[in-house]
Amino acid sequence: MNYLEPERLDALAAQYVLGTLSRAARERLARLASGNETVAAALRAWETRLLPLAESLPPIAPPERVWPAILDRIQGQRESGSMWANLGLWRGLTLAGFATAMALAVVLLTPRPETPIETLVVVLAGQDARPALLVSADRSGRTLTVKAIAPVPPVADRVLQLWALPEQGNPRSLGLIPATGAASSVMRLDLPASVGLALQNIPALAVSLEPQGGSPTGLPTGPVLYSGPIQRLY
Amino acid sequence: MALDPDKRRQRSERLAELLARTALSNQQAFAELYRETSSHLYAVALRILRESGAAEEVLQESFVNIWHHAGSYVAAKSQPLTWMTSIVRNRCLDQMRRREVDTVTIDDEEPGMMLADDRPGPMEMLLSSADALAVKSCVERLEAGQKQAIALAFYQGLSHSELASHLRQPLGTVKSWVRRGLERLKACLDGAGLKR
Repeated sequence: MNYLEPERLDALAAQYVLGTLSRAARERLARLASGNETVAAALRAWETRLLPLAESLPPIAPPERVWPAILDRIQGQRESGSMWANLGLWRGLTLAGFATAMALAVVLLTPRPETPIETLVVVLAGQDARPALLVSADRSGRTLTVKAIAPVPPVADRVLQLWALPEQGNPRSLGLIPATGAASSVMRLDLPASVGLALQNIPALAVSLEPQGGSPTGLPTGPVLYSGPIQRLY
Repeated sequence: MALDPDKRRQRSERLAELLARTALSNQQAFAELYRETSSHLYAVALRILRESGAAEEVLQESFVNIWHHAGSYVAAKSQPLTWMTSIVRNRCLDQMRRREVDTVTIDDEEPGMMLADDRPGPMEMLLSSADALAVKSCVERLEAGQKQAIALAFYQGLSHSELASHLRQPLGTVKSWVRRGLERLKACLDGAGLKR
């Protein structure tokens, strides 16, 4: 039986979304969908057709204990503190970033300690806590230097977008980073104001994967690949 | 939740934004997302699982899953509520199909009780949501048996054999109602340009 024969796939996807497939057939199709975009797209098409029907169900408020239980479950990866300090991604990452920043501080400061430059360093790491991008800047200047410290694989028709994550409110775009795929490539992003001003009260940066030209909504729409806390030196 | 197209679009944009912020591990956005969608998603789970404890558990697992995978939501590919509903429904349906293997006998009374209580039945719901989505004409083109089989399968998660027993029809008849009903619904929805 060929699952990928279009009509067969369409019929299976329809029954999957409707819910009438047997357990074994459900599991098979779900497995296929996770590695095959044609199958995943067939499922999505039927979800788009059928799932709006669920909207007519009269809403029923779940018991109040559900939300705290969810928080408990996701709190395993968080530490107390401010909202951004709670970022699940950051555990371990903050330490990695701090260590790298300290190492850089030593390099930056050793030659001419008498004239410290107000710098800013951000180590952006993925969910595996491995550093991928290094953002640095002179805070009185207007340029962010973005250096790939690990190969950032390019994704077809997608770009990386750099965001400032404020303590409160929405992320703000800082610009697009072309993914070259090469480690140690360096890019420069020009900001409309001085770095110190543009990133005032911003505790962290993040990078998301966006369509060509950047997020169409002005907010991150794709997966967040990297993030990291801003370290201010002097 | 019979919303007009403008309100639906606004709600979708808002939910997509909350999902994007949730992907950045913003807990406030996640809490808001929960407030805005949990009653809807709980109703979906409760209808299928028919047991508040099981529905609560699915809701909880689904939101933990949404927290971890909000970044994989792609706004260009599906509506946010559709994406979230599919997470909840898939968990419910997986559970239902597993139960089926555990219990060979099918309780014929339970779905009947669901229809008899004061909540709207699957047929009424199929028609009211169709109304809200302007696809009423598509649903109306289905034959009575097709309509009934699809409504019961969709809202209550009944399998083919459960449908057959509930509708007191041969299994083959029920299967063909479902298959033909889905084909007609697709032709009608796609033809009307309502794919999204």
